Amino acid sequence: MDILEYAWLIPVLPLLAFVFIGLFGKKLNDLNGYIAVGGVGAGMILALWTAFELLTTGRVYSTSQTWVVLSSKYTLEMGVYLDNVAAMMLIVVSFIAFLVVVYSTAYMHDQGPRRHRYFTEICLFVGVMLGLVLANNFFQMFVFWELVGVCSYLLIGFWYERPSAARAAKKAFLVTRVGDVMFMIGLFILFTQLGTFNYEEVWHALDTADPTMMAFAAFFLFGGAIGKSAQFPLHDWLPDAMEGPTTVSALIHAATMVNAGVYLVARSFPIIATSAEVSLFVGAIGGITAFIAATMALCAPKIKGVLAYSTVSQLGYMILGLGAGAFLWHHGHHVEGSIAFGAGLFHLMNHAFFKGQLFLGAGAVIHYVHTEDLAKMGGLGKYMKVSMITMLISCISIAGIPPLSGFWSKDEVLAVTFEAGDAGLTFMVLWVLGVLTAFMTAFYMFRMWFMVFGGKPNEGTKHATEHGHHKHEAPIAMLIPLVVLAALAFGSGFSLFIGDGFFGAVYYEHAHALSVGERLTEVFTSPLTYISIVAAVGGIVLAYFSFYKTNISAEKVVSKGFPKAMHQLLLDRYKFPVAYDKIGYVGVYGFSLLLDKFDRYVIDGIVNGIAAFLTAMGGVTRKLQNGFVQSYATLLLIGVSVIVILLYVVGVLR
Amino acid sequence: MIPLEFVLIISSVLFVIGAAGVILKKNAIMVLMSIEIMLNAANINLVAFSSYFGDATGQGFALFSIGIAAAEVTIGLAILLNLNKLRKTVNVDDINLLRW
Repeated sequence: MDILEYAWLIPVLPLLAFVFIGLFGKKLNDLNGYIAVGGVGAGMILALWTAFELLTTGRVYSTSQTWVVLSSKYTLEMGVYLDNVAAMMLIVVSFIAFLVVVYSTAYMHDQGPRRHRYFTEICLFVGVMLGLVLANNFFQMFVFWELVGVCSYLLIGFWYERPSAARAAKKAFLVTRVGDVMFMIGLFILFTQLGTFNYEEVWHALDTADPTMMAFAAFFLFGGAIGKSAQFPLHDWLPDAMEGPTTVSALIHAATMVNAGVYLVARSFPIIATSAEVSLFVGAIGGITAFIAATMALCAPKIKGVLAYSTVSQLGYMILGLGAGAFLWHHGHHVEGSIAFGAGLFHLMNHAFFKGQLFLGAGAVIHYVHTEDLAKMGGLGKYMKVSMITMLISCISIAGIPPLSGFWSKDEVLAVTFEAGDAGLTFMVLWVLGVLTAFMTAFYMFRMWFMVFGGKPNEGTKHATEHGHHKHEAPIAMLIPLVVLAALAFGSGFSLFIGDGFFGAVYYEHAHALSVGERLTEVFTSPLTYISIVAAVGGIVLAYFSFYKTNISAEKVVSKGFPKAMHQLLLDRYKFPVAYDKIGYVGVYGFSLLLDKFDRYVIDGIVNGIAAFLTAMGGVTRKLQNGFVQSYATLLLIGVSVIVILLYVVGVLR
Repeated sequence: MIPLEFVLIISSVLFVIGAAGVILKKNAIMVLMSIEIMLNAANINLVAFSSYFGDATGQGFALFSIGIAAAEVTIGLAILLNLNKLRKTVNVDDINLLRW
């Protein structure tokens, strides 16, 4: 039996759970969660099996069948395309989704009948997300892309009676829509130029395609990724999306859906690599996003806010890696480009694990203290040992301290960016931004960790420990996912050393297999590695002294002058929400007003003008109808005379 | 026998006089009389051609025409009488009710 032939079942199993819960789940209460666990779990087993088969054999499997026939030349197809990248995504998505659903059974316990809706939507999400990964063409990907967008909208607005949640859901939907429209434009260009959406056919057709049009297609496809993966300047929806339940933030807005944009960039990697400019643009957007999101995370007041900005920042790293890869590939460095491609995806995988863990840990903390405000926490380490230790592992991992997973991938991304700097100076700047981001990442993650678990208990902690219903650590169904994900946050980087290593398994065209010894020598003989380690350690030490030992008072630093203004600017998120509103108001509303004027004065003007002209003409001609019988008689006489004369003349001429 | 042309000229002259009367006269009774003149011009034509072709049909038509003209004058005068009663005028320039 070839398991790959059954790969289409992977998204179907969670979708079956979705249909079942959606139709019959209303009265099932707790059972909903178990059905969801069952459906998603079955999908996960199949996905892991499929991924194992793909990664061990290195096979590429694809099937497709015609879906819509547009004309004899143009058809749309549905199918399955499985390669190493899809395998990695399958592992990440299905595994984290399973853990999050398990976690949700406990986390959403007090939501009553709402659980029905929650598990319905989460199963739908898992199904369509897996479908997105399996797609064999850009159009099918787009269909699932929109479906995950809908699920994201529904789940951000889970507590729809809160105005802020409803607004956040709307914002997420509308802002990603800007990217989706660009994605669609990219699809149109691809289809009109190449006549196909199929990944393999597109990749093969690139050599003969018009390079200008392909550059445009790459640019617009990347526009889709900017929206979905919350890249600058469309990043502002993600921090707002934290209005949803924390499990949703963990699954959709940290570990899976936002990675769809990165996955799209990976799938359109060859198209992007046809143009140096677009590659550079991709890398620049990634680097800039990583940097500015990290700055905003420095002073975010809410625990989930820190994680949201951190997610945006880390996604920036992934995009930066892929952009650098495309740039290197374009300049003929195929092996390095392929490694960079792998580095971006490697970071995607590691990030999904540690950020999923951090969000779930934050969920446990919020579950305990019933507040998201960092200033109200503190001293929780005493009560939540498991959460504290697992989150510490993830924090160290994301900060980039060896040998945890974040170190390997972040270091690789920075290394390839530095390498791309040889071909284009912009990448040197991006590398500097990346190193600064690494420093800030370590700082803000440990700021969060110290503020939550260290120090004196603040009001939220006190209130929870004195009056809370549960003065104990989170339930077991929440702890297991925390521990498993922490283990992966610790160890997923070691996939570099299994078999041919990560870059020997997930790559673009050129596998880069290195033995353990070679890999270690390569990493630890490079001065770049030490720069990023120093940056990370520096960030942790600074956070330790300012938020644990309080030798350096953060409040004092930002109390006056330039730091104060900067702090306010960061709290205002660089005025991005204001700018969005302004653009929405001036751009969209202004345009609507313009259209209103156009309708009122031009369209209505034409219609009314015709009517007025006819009335005026009638006004002229009706004067003939003056009521004087004699004038009628005169006209009659003249008319008849003219006719007679004409008849006579015609008669003579004939 | 009087040549046909002479009769036709007479009838044409009569017709034009009648038409001029219809157009120019302001008194409704005069207009009515002018119409009668035009009808008679037509009658003369009918009779003249009847005699010229030796066919009695034209004379028959002329008789009908005279009868209809009499009936029409009766109606016309009745209208004028009522009009005079209502509006105290028979000047056609004042009777322009049938307009926009």
